[in-house]
Amino acid sequence: MLALRLARGSHPLVLVRRLLVAAASAGVGFLLLCALGYAAAHPASAGSVLRLLWCFVPLAATVQFAVAVARADPSTRPRPGLSSVGLGPVRLSALAAVSTAVSTTLGSMVALLFFLHLRGDLTGMPFDGGAAEFLGAGSPLPLAAALMLLALVPVAASTASALALRSRPDPARDAFGSEELPEPAPAPAGLPWGVALTAAGLAVEAIASRGTAGSAFPLPGRYDSTPVAVLIGWTLTAVGLAMAGPSLTHLCGRALQAVRPGAVRLLAGRVLMNEARRIGRPLGVVCAVLSAAVAASALYGGDERPYGPLTALGAVLVLGCTTATLLTSALEAKHARAHTVEALLRMGAPAAVLRRATALRAGALLALFAPLTWVIAQLAALPLTR
Amino acid sequence: MVAPPDNDVIWARSLHHSHNGSPGLGGVSIGVRDAEILAVTGPRGSGKTTLLHCLSGRLVPQQGEVWFNSVPVHTMPARVREQLRRERFGWIASDPELVPELTVWENTALPLLLRGFSHRAARKTATEWLERLDIAAFARKRPHALLQAQRQRISVARALAAQPTVIFADEPTATLHRADRTQVLRTLTTAARSHGITVVLATHDAEVAALADRTVPLLDGRCVATVTLPAKPEAEGRAACSLSV
Repeated sequence: MLALRLARGSHPLVLVRRLLVAAASAGVGFLLLCALGYAAAHPASAGSVLRLLWCFVPLAATVQFAVAVARADPSTRPRPGLSSVGLGPVRLSALAAVSTAVSTTLGSMVALLFFLHLRGDLTGMPFDGGAAEFLGAGSPLPLAAALMLLALVPVAASTASALALRSRPDPARDAFGSEELPEPAPAPAGLPWGVALTAAGLAVEAIASRGTAGSAFPLPGRYDSTPVAVLIGWTLTAVGLAMAGPSLTHLCGRALQAVRPGAVRLLAGRVLMNEARRIGRPLGVVCAVLSAAVAASALYGGDERPYGPLTALGAVLVLGCTTATLLTSALEAKHARAHTVEALLRMGAPAAVLRRATALRAGALLALFAPLTWVIAQLAALPLTR
Repeated sequence: MVAPPDNDVIWARSLHHSHNGSPGLGGVSIGVRDAEILAVTGPRGSGKTTLLHCLSGRLVPQQGEVWFNSVPVHTMPARVREQLRRERFGWIASDPELVPELTVWENTALPLLLRGFSHRAARKTATEWLERLDIAAFARKRPHALLQAQRQRISVARALAAQPTVIFADEPTATLHRADRTQVLRTLTTAARSHGITVVLATHDAEVAALADRTVPLLDGRCVATVTLPAKPEAEGRAACSLSV
């Protein structure tokens, strides 16, 4: 109940973020149910497992987004007032898990209704059974399987957010102002691993595509013969980029504040170095997803086989969730620095300097990650288009 | 509008301010002379911080006038007041308010860098002041590695390094122990006197106020002659402790 009460008084933007989580959860639920419907209609087809496996990419993106939203949620942020009445970080992480579960379950319910409606099981609205054939309307849906698939997102998202929020510092120390300044995080050290994994992923792809030169690997729902090695290669590349992201961001900040910096470069670089962990990981994931998207469009763009509606839905979900995660993390970083910014403004720092520092940070990150994304995309597409 | 007397650096007349309806200042008039150390005293909630905010142009009073060197501050647009704070005023709060990402000397040099000084000049000035305040040994450390008293000295060095006309110190020693308190205050007052900087010092401590040239007592948002609160009665209701509560 407390979760709902806190939600009622929160800022519209916070509610919009929760609605976005619900929408993403609905999309993933719908994709999972579609995979189930296909499997029920074609019991002998090996492609149904593949379809189900593909659904885990948007699922992972949705869980990541749900965790980022729960982190940035002001109503579950540890506060001295709540801590003094016994609602410390542990209880608040339970609260965050409940709110995440509420919004994702809402999404799953919408997905179920929508799916049944399009399949023609629920009647009385326009587009009844609009895609009955496509969703395997002829065969009955196993209830237990449908419920389990629908519960996947809520359970995964709320568990992940509870675990992620449990380790936040106790706000009771806020009462002492800056007497207990938190120790800055050490420089992230994932760069060697990240580079190694990315290179390994690209190599696996290149080796896998050698046998099947000329025939690019198909998207689900078109052919049943996806080379597993290519999928493994892309996954390895994505994990590698996510690991290298914080280190690259840190390096970017270090370069910004190097060689006799003025106030703008100094503030921009140091803040970027400090926020490398928070910003870098989602940035690496966005970079991986974008490079996969660029590679995919290079592979299939001029093809006579267009994307299926479900593939498009999955792609939109993955792109949207990862971008939204990045934006939410940036917002969280901004909120975390609000105290320092206030102190700077009180000192008389012009707001223009702070705005310029933010723009400089964004520009530096773009200048580093945009070419990187392009290079990875070209390398990933190269062996497949040969 | 009447032009203020010439020998006052800051001159304020009948300042009224309330925070969302809760009373803050109720008609305070004050004049700060050049190169003096003025203590604003009073218990917590008597309007000291609000007065300092109004004088330094962080807050525009709802009624009344503030003049700095014969220029009206209360009619300035926000951008000009910001520039005034950056170039003519220094601020020391009870919390050091250092930027955690910057090292000690960078924190000290930040006001100079914000004014557009070159990196080299800002570093030289900041290092000089850190040496004067006996904290040069920590110049390359980050604030989290220091003690609160050291951080407060850095905050003093940051205010002094910018060579302001007026320094506003709002309870600069509230979170320190007595030994540290004496050192911070002595540093601040000595440096201010030797460099001819005006200091407006808000404090609830009579010992601290004794270091000042002049004292302005505040009580409930008004200037009073002396702060004498009514004598505290014997713990109210103890003699007639009733069981009905």
